[in-house]
Amino acid sequence: MRIALINGSPKVKNSSSSILLEDLKGYLGKNVEIVNVELHSPVITKEDIEELMKTDAWVFSCPLYVDGIPGHLLSCLIQLEESCVKNSKKHIYGIVNCGFYEGIQAKIALKILQNWCLKTGYIWSGGIGVGGGGGLAMISNMKPGQGPKAAIDRAIEKLALSILKNDITENQYVSIAFPRFLYKMAAQLGWRQMIKANGGKAKDLGKKLD
Amino acid sequence: MKLIITDIENFSIPVEGDHKIIKPQGNIQHCIGCFGCWAKTPGKCVLLDGYEETGRDMGKCTELIIVSRCHYGSVSPFVKMIQDRAISYTHADFVIRKGEMHHKRRYKNIITLSSHLYGENITTIEKETALELLKANAENYDGLVKDVYFYQSVEDLGDVVL
Ligand SMILES: Cc1cc2nc3c(=O)[nH]c(=O)nc-3n(C[C@H](O)[C@H](O)[C@H](O)COP(=O)(O)O)c2cc1C
Repeated sequence: MRIALINGSPKVKNSSSSILLEDLKGYLGKNVEIVNVELHSPVITKEDIEELMKTDAWVFSCPLYVDGIPGHLLSCLIQLEESCVKNSKKHIYGIVNCGFYEGIQAKIALKILQNWCLKTGYIWSGGIGVGGGGGLAMISNMKPGQGPKAAIDRAIEKLALSILKNDITENQYVSIAFPRFLYKMAAQLGWRQMIKANGGKAKDLGKKLD
Repeated sequence: MKLIITDIENFSIPVEGDHKIIKPQGNIQHCIGCFGCWAKTPGKCVLLDGYEETGRDMGKCTELIIVSRCHYGSVSPFVKMIQDRAISYTHADFVIRKGEMHHKRRYKNIITLSSHLYGENITTIEKETALELLKANAENYDGLVKDVYFYQSVEDLGDVVL
């Protein structure tokens, strides 16, 4: 079985999307062949499309952007729709991680992927909405299944089992296991550190432009 | 002010009153996820290609009107890239509204959102998704929803006055 793991974050490095795909890879085990595809820009290469067509299942992992799919990835999806082979039995899965705490906020983005499947004729087979995705890079050293990522990894493990069995599952919605008020505090502290590191002041975070 | 974001290059739909139109004029770069618009050049996108000030424009508008091709219930890549690069309309900090996490306001204006979506075969499910998307956007901008309107083609928008 050949499975394509598609990273749809525009970030080339250190994306939460890639962390989630790494975890998934671990749960998929050694008996499958993994094809990594990186979609960081609006154009998908001919080589990538050819590679993708030779796989049995695709897993998209992307961030939630303005309640939907990032613009560059939408552009790739349109390109893929134009090149896809109709009536293929390919199974499509999706992992959408979001900055807000509640994984359910990724519901519409998963629906857009599902609607894309209806257009391409591929089989939408379920996904995960991951809340608190912004915190994943901070705890990326933790072993899968442990700490604040435990619940997310359980959902990923379940998804891996469906992929291996060619199953169709319901979407799962999970959040990082870290109290919401602490997640909010940590993020806000993060913004203040970031603006200072960029040579600015914390109060400029609220700057209003004329 | 009405802010129109459209993917139609030769946009000629009449708009009543004070307005600004953001449409494709030269290549657009996509958001690279750097959060520079919050923590480097607050309020403005760091990619300088002529499309970096939508966050500020949103801070001045009373209505946001999207005119776009509908893809899978979403707006088109151009319109979405504009929206992605305009998250600095809000403040980076979080607030909890109706039990869910969202961003704090940067500006005081309340935006009323509507979208006019065109496409030959927009399905019922895509229409539902498009409405949910607009409602979610309104929730995140802390604004209001007017409605989503659907058309078979750009030509069908001919009788519309925005
Ligand atoms: C342009 C932009 C728009 C975003 N919109 C949302 C959103 O609507 N809801 C949300 O929860 N998070 C939103 N986020 C936060 C990202 O989903 C979050 O940071 C995610 O973890 C990034 O994943 P990545 O590292 O895989 O790119 C947005 C981030 C950016 C840069």
